[in-house]
Amino acid sequence: MYEQAMSKIPLLISRSKISTEGHKTGEWRFVTPSFKEKTAPCRATCPVGEDIPRIGMIASRGLIKEAWETIMAENPFPCVCGHVCFHPCETACNRAFLDESVAVHHLERMIGEAGISEGFSASVLKTPSNGKRVAVVGSGPSGLSAAYFLSMLGFSCDLFESKDQPGGILRWGIPAYRLPEWVLQNEILRVEHMGVRIHCNTRITPERIGEIMDNYSALFMGYGHGRSVTMGIPGEEMAADGLDFLLEIRRGNLPAMDGIAAVIGGGNAAIDVSRSLIRLGAKPLIIYRRSLADMPAFSKEVNAALDEGVQIMETAVPVRIEEEDGNLMLRLQKMRAIGKDPEGRSRVVPDDSAPINLCVQHVFTAIGAQSDGILNPKEEGNDRAIPLSHSMFTLSKIPVIYGGDLTNAKRSVSDAIASGKQAAMAIDTYFHHGFDAIRERLNVSRVGDRDPLSMAIYLETDRASRSPKVISYSDINTDYFSNTPRHIPQTIPMLRGELSFMVKEPVFSLKEGVGEASRCFHCGICNDCDNCRIFCPDISVSCVENGRRINLDYCKGCGICVAECPSGVMELEEEQP
Amino acid sequence: MIRILEGNHAVSEAVRLARVQVISAYPITPQTHIVETLSEYCADGKMNARFLCVESEHSAMGAAIAAAMGGARTFTATSSHGLAYMHELLHWSTGARLPIVMAEVNRAMGPGWNIWTDQTDSLSQRDTGWIQLYCEDGQEVLDTTVSAFRLAETVNLPVMIVLDAFYLSHTFEPVDVPEQGSVDRFLPPFSPRFAMDTENPANFGELVPPGLYMEMRRNIQLAMESVPGCFSAIEEEFFFQFGRRYGPVECWMCDDAEVIMVVSGTITGTCRQVVGDLRGRGEKAGLMKIKMFRPFPAREIRNAFNPNQKLAVVDRNFSFGAGGIFAQELKAVLYQAPDRPRVFEYIAGLGGRDVTPKTLETIYRMTKEQDTPKMESVWIDLNVVDEGI
Repeated sequence: MYEQAMSKIPLLISRSKISTEGHKTGEWRFVTPSFKEKTAPCRATCPVGEDIPRIGMIASRGLIKEAWETIMAENPFPCVCGHVCFHPCETACNRAFLDESVAVHHLERMIGEAGISEGFSASVLKTPSNGKRVAVVGSGPSGLSAAYFLSMLGFSCDLFESKDQPGGILRWGIPAYRLPEWVLQNEILRVEHMGVRIHCNTRITPERIGEIMDNYSALFMGYGHGRSVTMGIPGEEMAADGLDFLLEIRRGNLPAMDGIAAVIGGGNAAIDVSRSLIRLGAKPLIIYRRSLADMPAFSKEVNAALDEGVQIMETAVPVRIEEEDGNLMLRLQKMRAIGKDPEGRSRVVPDDSAPINLCVQHVFTAIGAQSDGILNPKEEGNDRAIPLSHSMFTLSKIPVIYGGDLTNAKRSVSDAIASGKQAAMAIDTYFHHGFDAIRERLNVSRVGDRDPLSMAIYLETDRASRSPKVISYSDINTDYFSNTPRHIPQTIPMLRGELSFMVKEPVFSLKEGVGEASRCFHCGICNDCDNCRIFCPDISVSCVENGRRINLDYCKGCGICVAECPSGVMELEEEQP
Repeated sequence: MIRILEGNHAVSEAVRLARVQVISAYPITPQTHIVETLSEYCADGKMNARFLCVESEHSAMGAAIAAAMGGARTFTATSSHGLAYMHELLHWSTGARLPIVMAEVNRAMGPGWNIWTDQTDSLSQRDTGWIQLYCEDGQEVLDTTVSAFRLAETVNLPVMIVLDAFYLSHTFEPVDVPEQGSVDRFLPPFSPRFAMDTENPANFGELVPPGLYMEMRRNIQLAMESVPGCFSAIEEEFFFQFGRRYGPVECWMCDDAEVIMVVSGTITGTCRQVVGDLRGRGEKAGLMKIKMFRPFPAREIRNAFNPNQKLAVVDRNFSFGAGGIFAQELKAVLYQAPDRPRVFEYIAGLGGRDVTPKTLETIYRMTKEQDTPKMESVWIDLNVVDEGI
């Protein structure tokens, strides 16, 4: 009865076997979606222009070697920077608007350590030799970086270092509790594996410059600021030089100290000296001429110093040092602010108060450094010169490029690495396209119309096609990201004595690192989420090699793919009539 | 097995026993317990069904339509504003001839915001082409839900099982829950007459020109006209299997009645008590329960009365500018009858107000004492209120 009843029920519905492919619904379209990768704010802020969103994306899939290679395309020192970089990327991170910024710094440290422990090789990035030789003076971060990138571009490099070991500020200026020796050694070794010959104990005097000019195609000057600036006050000879102190510590001389140690200065060196002193048993007191907010040291370092018990006296200047009963009597003049200088720091003058006498056991100076002055860029006034953001290109008999602290406004390791990279690009451009092409080639190699230069963009890889538009938080579809707090490894409490200089800073486990990387929005780059294809109501998006394609025969321009793109890659453009 | 179930869970049990394959729903008071239980059944593996959490009732029905197009036995449930939000897709599911089954818990429309029972939500959907079956108690809810799949799949029309908020949805009663085996014998797996199939691609629901649209509409009506017959046949099989049947309309003590109370939903149970009491006192009272509202069982209703009787229609709903909706429908089918009873119209119990035995007896008395009905509906038990703002 059931079957019988069923067969009798009328059922007339609209159904057709004719293909709908004949309906070219694309004709209705007046806006067209497209895939256009853009620039992430972290990358645009990174001095070396690391492709951070791609590193995040690759690392989130557990592909650590590929993530490492992505760093190495822009920076020969992932592990060094994973320890000492001031990571402006994290301040720029769009994720901070949702919960907290991605811990890029710790991620880089994890990837950098993996690169060392797994023995990854960067030689795949090397291009064939072009037969040209470049001399590099100074084996600090800018010199090492210049040599690395020049080797990548096919140049043969000789690197000259006056001290007995390479590394410059990385080796002699940064205490081991911030940058372990093994990290530095391994990453310098990798630069040598690129074919760079490092000649230690080789001081380049002005007399040897002529010899270099006869034997090399180009010269990079990155010998840095190795000589401390002096205060010029009576009794200064009783103060110890902060840079020498740091150097002695790196050489393994770790004297037990006690009493109050006044540290004059407000830069990173003053902080490093103070934090080293407290580890050796002294009570450091930083004396700085301006206010705390004006200190040129990175605020993370200042805060770490304060946390460890370093004290800071603001707006005071030493005017005299005298010996008194085996102690040092430091006479200080209090200062007051009168407006700002052109860099935005307070301008200070002595106030009307009488000088203060401070009884201390040690005085260290760390008020800045200057170059040893082999050749100075300004002395080459008659040559054709191009001042660049991180270096100075000059043309005498051969191209001579000055970089690192000699030219950089910001004296950070990352900016020094950027300087070496810029010099390498400038030299390469000079030999391939001539002097006049340098400015333009470097200009188009910038990340997001900002200062950072990208070697990947310079080499015109696929990433060169990215739009300079910097992705903002409003470009991200945050429906695809849930609130997940940032997780960073806990820091080890400060130890004292010799031990404190041997501590290994904590690092993500692979699982933690992958988890942290998966918090990345991948601003402006396609992360293969496939939303555009899945959501397309016209089945117009298809997967092709290297990405996706939109079939404009059927795309109505509804924009759903654009709305559902989590990373701001897709955009809509009005059709031109 | 007799179990103590609330009305909502009688629906859930029936859906489980019917081996529904796709459930898509959005929760709304007082329907929530239905889908809450079903989602647990799906999560616990007690049902081999896909439970789709959607963001709205519009999407719930959209997903149900898609599932039914794919040939799956499909269920959803809603109430009040949720049903109103589905309105467009209710038309669609009928036009596409999809046998979707939905439980609709009668709840008043706002504002003023009200979660209690009132039939205006489901009756507002009377022209969408959905079969509507109103239930009196938990057992009828379970039995009707199981049968609804048979009916829907037989006539290729969607079915709405309607139950009162709280009086039925949240009230626990003994319900005989049948064994799975006996339900399987009564309700075979869904064997769709058409389905979307990637192996055999076709377009469904595409543009239909004026030259064919009317035929398709007429075709839906032909299917509707077959419903009372199919319903009776299915009820016959159900009775054979389970020993219970309800009929599209039920007449009780009507033959010699002077006043017949015409009711639906849970008011029916109260009315049975009142009519029994009145009979005990020698009054000639009768009761007609209307279970099937769409299609409206015109033949059964015309044959149920004689011209001398008075009908007292109790509507827990209202069509503004007209009157009680059951009364309108009743008058419409009686108008063409050669001799017809007088129809007295009453509005009671809107927005969940209690319809007590006393209320119904008042209606009985008023009807008995009057010769001719008023033009307008009579609103029962109105409170005195300040009419200003």
